Amino acid sequence: MNSLPTNAAFGQAALEHIDALYGYAMTLTRDTTEAEDLVQDTYVRAARAVNRPDSDATLKGWLFVIMRNAWLNQVRHKNAGPLFVDIDSSESTGDAQDNPHVVYLRKLEREQVREAIESLPDAYREIVVLRDIEGFTYQEIATVLDCPAGTVMSRLGRARGRLKKLLSAWQTKARVKAVGHRN
Amino acid sequence: MNKCEDIRGRLALYLDHELQGTERASVETHLTECESCAAVLAKQLNFLKAVRESGPLYIASPALREKIQPLLNDVQVSVPTAKPHSAVKTDVRFRWVLAAAAALLVLFLPILVWQFVGQSDAPSNRRPSSFALKAAETHLRVTRGQLPLETQSASPQDISEWFSDKVSFSVKLPNYQESSGQEKLYTLEGARLVGFQNDYAAYVAYRMKSRPISLVITSASVAKPSGGEEIASRGLRFHYNAIDGLKVITWSDRGLTYALVSDLDERGQQSCIVCHEGTKDRDFIEPLKPR
Repeated sequence: MNSLPTNAAFGQAALEHIDALYGYAMTLTRDTTEAEDLVQDTYVRAARAVNRPDSDATLKGWLFVIMRNAWLNQVRHKNAGPLFVDIDSSESTGDAQDNPHVVYLRKLEREQVREAIESLPDAYREIVVLRDIEGFTYQEIATVLDCPAGTVMSRLGRARGRLKKLLSAWQTKARVKAVGHRN
Repeated sequence: MNKCEDIRGRLALYLDHELQGTERASVETHLTECESCAAVLAKQLNFLKAVRESGPLYIASPALREKIQPLLNDVQVSVPTAKPHSAVKTDVRFRWVLAAAAALLVLFLPILVWQFVGQSDAPSNRRPSSFALKAAETHLRVTRGQLPLETQSASPQDISEWFSDKVSFSVKLPNYQESSGQEKLYTLEGARLVGFQNDYAAYVAYRMKSRPISLVITSASVAKPSGGEEIASRGLRFHYNAIDGLKVITWSDRGLTYALVSDLDERGQQSCIVCHEGTKDRDFIEPLKPR
């Protein structure tokens, strides 16, 4: 089933993912100018590619793989090594889910959650964006990150654990402030 | 490790739709029996909902879009800068193809003009809506086995009930076959949730004579049908698109938006019988046939 039979169809389908690509570029670079350059670079590479995906279903993941590789190339040229470092796998995550403040998370402002995601270490922020914002499956994330699906699972668990802790701590601070104001 | 520890260790996989078949069923069975684990699940669900609803984190600026568009247009007109030696032969062949194409154009020009005039009131934006694209993508992934069904049942009541605490709108699948007493033309296979616009849409899988049919439902406030060929029938406006070789029909009715996906003949209008099998509904399906 050849879903993207023409260049026009490919161009149109690829452009549908520009917001997601820009969001991922911001996650990688944390800089608007660099992110815009990375998005352009990604589309240039995609347009020149010979082996394009034959279906719209796999197009988004393919574009994300191109973007990550392009970014890694840039980083390798600029620095001695990649910016993302492996995060200590022994980090504990179990306590956050039992924190009673977590039940109030749904009431938190979107901005607060965004701020918490932004404050995560790079590798954690990236995996949360890929899974929870972009909705990729574990296998698709493994392809983008070029790592085993098991690593995706464990890193995602640690990232979410950190995010819960952050949000929970902020919630506690907000409550303490509110009580202080009342007294 | 006791049962609760085991289940809690797999809750993230469960919520990420990474568990299938018996594994998924065993978690669901335990959750119905254990209040404590069900409470942990509710907390995790709240957390994930808050995170997922925070997106998108960034939107590409109109200026960036304007920069990208020509890059993608260039794909269509890109030509090699240097001619290879074999290009001379190709040029001769190309002239023949050009002559044949010109002859065909003369033959079919009246038909093209007629089609253009006949459809002059058609909307200019014929691109499929993001909901139609999502429905086609999900259909493909499910049929390829990349996206498992989360519940498997041939009972419309069971499927409707399964959705009751999972989506923000009411899903009531009709059971026309049973009430009509007619020959069973299709089977209901199961359902799952599908992420769309930071919310969940309902995905229902059917099969008709071994060919898969997908029905995707979301709230009309989340998705509006648009693009494609617009066809009016019995007070509703249907949008028909061919996407990835699939036939996709989208429409809104009573607060919900639907997408029906199949690889059936013509516009795939036969897929409508999953909800409209009775003979009284034939006039509903007829207008969707190509003229």
